[in-house]
Amino acid sequence: MSAEAQPRIAPDEGGAPPPVRHTGSWSLTWAGLRTVAALELRQRVRSTRWVVSLVVFGVVVGVVTTLTFFVSRQMTADMAADPAIDATAGRTMFGFIVFFVLFLGLLVSPTLSATSINGDRANGTLATLQVTLLSPAEIVLGKLLASWLASLAFLAVSVPFIVWAFATGGTAFVGLLTTVLMLAVVLAVVCAIGLGFSAMTARSAGSAVLTYVAIAGLTVVSLIVFALSVPLVSGEERVQVRSEDWPGGEVEFDENGRPLEEIPCVLREEERYVTHTERTWWLLAVNPFVVVADALPPAAGSTQIADPMTGIRYGVRMARLGVEEPLNECWSQWQDWEAEEQARRDRADSLGAVWPWGLAFNLLLGAAGVALAVRRLTIPQGTLPRGTRVA
Amino acid sequence: MAIEAHGVRRSFGAVRAVDGVDLVARPGRVTALIGPNGSGKTTLLLVLAGLLRPDAGTVRVAGVDPLTDSRGARAVTGWMPDVFGTWDSLTAREVLLTFAAAYRVPDDVARARVAELLATVHLSEYADRPAHVLSRGQKQRLGLARALVHDPQVLLLDEPASGLDPRSRVDLRVLLRDLAGRGKTVLVSSHVLTELDEMADDAVFLSAGRTVATQSVHDAVTTRRPWRVRALSQRGLVAWLDEKGVPWRTDEPFAAPAEGAGGVVVDLESEEAAAALLRDAVAAGVPVAGLSPATGALESTYLALEEERR
Repeated sequence: MSAEAQPRIAPDEGGAPPPVRHTGSWSLTWAGLRTVAALELRQRVRSTRWVVSLVVFGVVVGVVTTLTFFVSRQMTADMAADPAIDATAGRTMFGFIVFFVLFLGLLVSPTLSATSINGDRANGTLATLQVTLLSPAEIVLGKLLASWLASLAFLAVSVPFIVWAFATGGTAFVGLLTTVLMLAVVLAVVCAIGLGFSAMTARSAGSAVLTYVAIAGLTVVSLIVFALSVPLVSGEERVQVRSEDWPGGEVEFDENGRPLEEIPCVLREEERYVTHTERTWWLLAVNPFVVVADALPPAAGSTQIADPMTGIRYGVRMARLGVEEPLNECWSQWQDWEAEEQARRDRADSLGAVWPWGLAFNLLLGAAGVALAVRRLTIPQGTLPRGTRVA
Repeated sequence: MAIEAHGVRRSFGAVRAVDGVDLVARPGRVTALIGPNGSGKTTLLLVLAGLLRPDAGTVRVAGVDPLTDSRGARAVTGWMPDVFGTWDSLTAREVLLTFAAAYRVPDDVARARVAELLATVHLSEYADRPAHVLSRGQKQRLGLARALVHDPQVLLLDEPASGLDPRSRVDLRVLLRDLAGRGKTVLVSSHVLTELDEMADDAVFLSAGRTVATQSVHDAVTTRRPWRVRALSQRGLVAWLDEKGVPWRTDEPFAAPAEGAGGVVVDLESEEAAAALLRDAVAAGVPVAGLSPATGALESTYLALEEERR
């Protein structure tokens, strides 16, 4: 390339090309989708030690499930043969295994999709696909389908262990179905995010790192930010408080320490230290672990929160409920703590489930990843991502 | 059905890769795209293949504008990049079948077409072996078959001959002549110029992103260029040339003409002039052993253009 000094030529000289219409970017056919997905699966399944990975994955999940089973048996044996405790042990095991599978799934899924587009570009195979009649959407969604199917293979390997945990009791069958479905959807989202990053960055190492950072952001960083933001949404405030208006003079108590006469409750505005988690609960809701836990129906007829899945479910829902004004400080009118807690939980439930919000947000992220990848693959290309070649 | 490009420009940042290219490649002809490394050949082919949007200018591929009807243009275009990969784990047949499916070729048609193409590029015996066992030249041939899988009207080939052995180069030439003979428009970029002499009908010369010359190979053949004359007696040949007043030079300027066999280089206007020289020499009893162009027709144009640029 000669670098002679030449007068700068205005880009519109010689007639600017007409504006580009990317009408075909999103056209989608099953045949095109299948062609790309079959290509991806053939290429990647044959070139990686696929069966070995699946077996290792299965063995790890199996070992953890077996250990969890014995631990929960131990717990149950120590206690009386109470069906409620049995149910709790079963749900604990189920929750633990599901979370473990989700954790491993989040680790494995990006390896497939996060190198898919920039890896092909580096191998010089992407452009040859782009010039065929495949639309960008068919290429992207075909790759997404392939990497999702591969992730589902890992999920399928762990399903027997999830079913084993389910069989230890405490979980409704519909809960098993929704949980597996939710895991599958979360894995699809992770694949889509990885695909977006692989379209955006030139090097596959970079996109893999970015995808893991995004997953860490959803699962761990969001939790940390929530915890750190607690002081920011807390403080002394004047709030409505329902409190007891103790009469002057003597009040007589029964043997339980309750006042014999009715103590009137009045509404006052007072200074209290409150934490407005209703402003930050969404930080918890976007967490895939929360989505899976919240979508699991609670144990039938149980009023106890004894297992981690139910604990997370109500932890987040209570956070969403936040500060309930007026604060109820009419202690003497409380029947019992459990009933009050149950009432508060019912009020939290009445706000609706949290998982649809989290799932919707995650699906939006996935859709953004796909849309971005389609945009990047649309030809003819105007600007190229930095450090990339067309072919 | 032609390839037409007018005033095409394309920059990457501050680098003007293509800076005003005009080109017409007609159907039924093989057009050579010639230029030094970095002269914008590959970028131009990317624009023509519909992968890159030009900053300015118009492009028509078989009458279709890849900017406004990308899909329509892709349907009629076969493109073979200079550097490309294959899916190593797929067999040669699977690679071609995948591309046939990607071009929406019906399944039964695709099977026959793929078998035929594999035979054309002499890869039938490798059809069911994974692509990673193929040598560089074999991959190159597979890439050529891939570009042909949907029987495109327009072929854009970027350095198709690189990495090919002499036999495959001949095959490539025969194949491209055959495609042109069937009315296809073939645009070939290369810097192996001697090859293009026998393959191409027209030539477009690029330099620093611009079209610097357009020439038919027939014209190139009829322009003045050096020829090598070889005789059994170099001294006799030189004596005869001096007598006829034809300027000559030897490869080693200061060596005296040898008694034995040897050759000199003379500049001749055309092939007719070469025929006349040969006839006269033979008539005069000079033991001529051979007369051939010292450089290819396109090469001499190319080198002349290089001279002008300096």
